[in-house]
Amino acid sequence: MPTYTKVLAHLSQPDVADRVHALSHDGAVEFLVLSREDTLRRRLRGTTDKGTEVTIALNRDEQLSDGAVLSLDADKALIVRMSEERWLRLEPRDTDAAIEAGYFAGNLHWRVRFAPGALLIALEGPVEHYLQRIAPLTTSGKVLALQP
Amino acid sequence: MNEKTRLPGVARIGIGGPVGSGKTALVERLIPALKARNIEVAVVANDLVTREDAERIRRSGLIDPARVLAVETGACPHTAIREDPTMNILAVEKLIETFPEVEVILVESGGDNLASTFSLELVDYWLFVIDTSDGDDIPRKKGPGIVRSDILVINKVDLAPYVGANVENMVRDASQVRSGRTVILTNCKTGEGIETLVDQLAHDVLFTA
Ligand SMILES: Nc1nc2c(ncn2[C@@H]2O[C@H](COP(=O)(O)OP(=O)(O)OP(=O)(O)O)[C@@H](O)[C@H]2O)c(=O)[nH]1
Ligand SMILES: [Mg+2]
Repeated sequence: MPTYTKVLAHLSQPDVADRVHALSHDGAVEFLVLSREDTLRRRLRGTTDKGTEVTIALNRDEQLSDGAVLSLDADKALIVRMSEERWLRLEPRDTDAAIEAGYFAGNLHWRVRFAPGALLIALEGPVEHYLQRIAPLTTSGKVLALQP
Repeated sequence: MNEKTRLPGVARIGIGGPVGSGKTALVERLIPALKARNIEVAVVANDLVTREDAERIRRSGLIDPARVLAVETGACPHTAIREDPTMNILAVEKLIETFPEVEVILVESGGDNLASTFSLELVDYWLFVIDTSDGDDIPRKKGPGIVRSDILVINKVDLAPYVGANVENMVRDASQVRSGRTVILTNCKTGEGIETLVDQLAHDVLFTA
C-alpha cells in the first residue's frame, strides 16, 4: 500500500485543475474525504472514495487541505476533499438565555460561529451528544436547537 | 544493520486521561515496547506545577534522560494540549531538532477530567486512558475524551474485581459511544495489552505494519 509523503500541488492551480479534470473523464481520479479535524493530522490512514486504503506521512511544514493533490501522474490522481462541516444552530429566547448559552458552549469548549440571532456549534461528533448536553437549556425553553 | 526507510516527519502521539489513570505507567510500558521494534522514542510530560512525571521517566532507566522534556502547565492541563498548545509544540520541536533520529514522540498530558481532548495541531493521534477503578459507568457518561480519542485505553484491568467493575460492560458501553472505534484493555503492572496497543499504533500512525 502506498504511503503519500508530500502535498504535490493544489487544485487551485489552473494547470493542475486541468490535468485532474482530464483524468476525471477516465474515472482515474480518487478522492480522500477528510473532516476538518483530520486535515490537521500529519500522520493518517484513510480509505478513498474508491475503497483504496492509503496512508499519509507528512513533514511538519506541510498540511492537508481541501484540494491538496497527493499524487498526479499520467494515468491517475489522488485528491483530498474536506467534508462539509455541520453546525447545530442555537437560538436563544432572550439576552439572558444568550448569555447562558454562550457560557455553556465556552465551558464545554465547543467550537462556535456567530450568526444573527444565533450561536452555531460545530458538530465534531454525533448530534445527539450535543443535544444531551444542551438539554437543560432546550427543555426549559430558553434555547431552541435546530439540527443541520 | 540495515538502513531502514524513514518516513518524513515524526509520529506525535498524545496520551490523556483523568488523574492517576496510569498515563505515566503506560509511557513507561510503551518506551521499551517501541524500542523492541527498533523505533526511536522521545517523551514530553506535562504536569501542573512540578516536573514529577518527567523526572520519574528520566530516572526509569528506560530512555536517555535528555529525550524527556517537562512542560509545566500551570492551572488547566487541558489548555496546554488544546486551546493553547504552544508550550508543548515548542517542546516537541526541540526534541525533533535535538534528536533527528526520533520517530515517535509521546506527549503525556497532565491528569484532567473526561472532557479533555488533544489539539490535532499538537499531535497526530491520541489515546485516552481511563481505569477500571474510575467506575464502570464512566464510558456511558460520554466525556469528549472517551468519545473522540483515537484509542480508548481501559487500564488497571487487574483491579476490576476489587472495585466491582464489570469490564465487559465497560468495553461494550465504550464501543457503543465510540461508534465501534478501538478500545484496548491494559494492565501496566504486568504489561498485559501493551503489544496489542503497539500493534494498533503501528497500523494507524507508525506505518510499520
Ligand atoms: N494495579 C494497577 N496499578 C496501576 C496500573 N497502572 C498504573 N497503576 C498505578 O496507578 C498509580 C497512578 O499511575 P500513574 O502512571 O502515575 O498515573 P498518571 O495517569 O500518570 O497520573 P497523573 O499524571 O498524576 O495524572 C500508580 O500508583 C501506578 O503504579 C495498573 O494497570 N494496575
Ligand atoms: Mg502521569
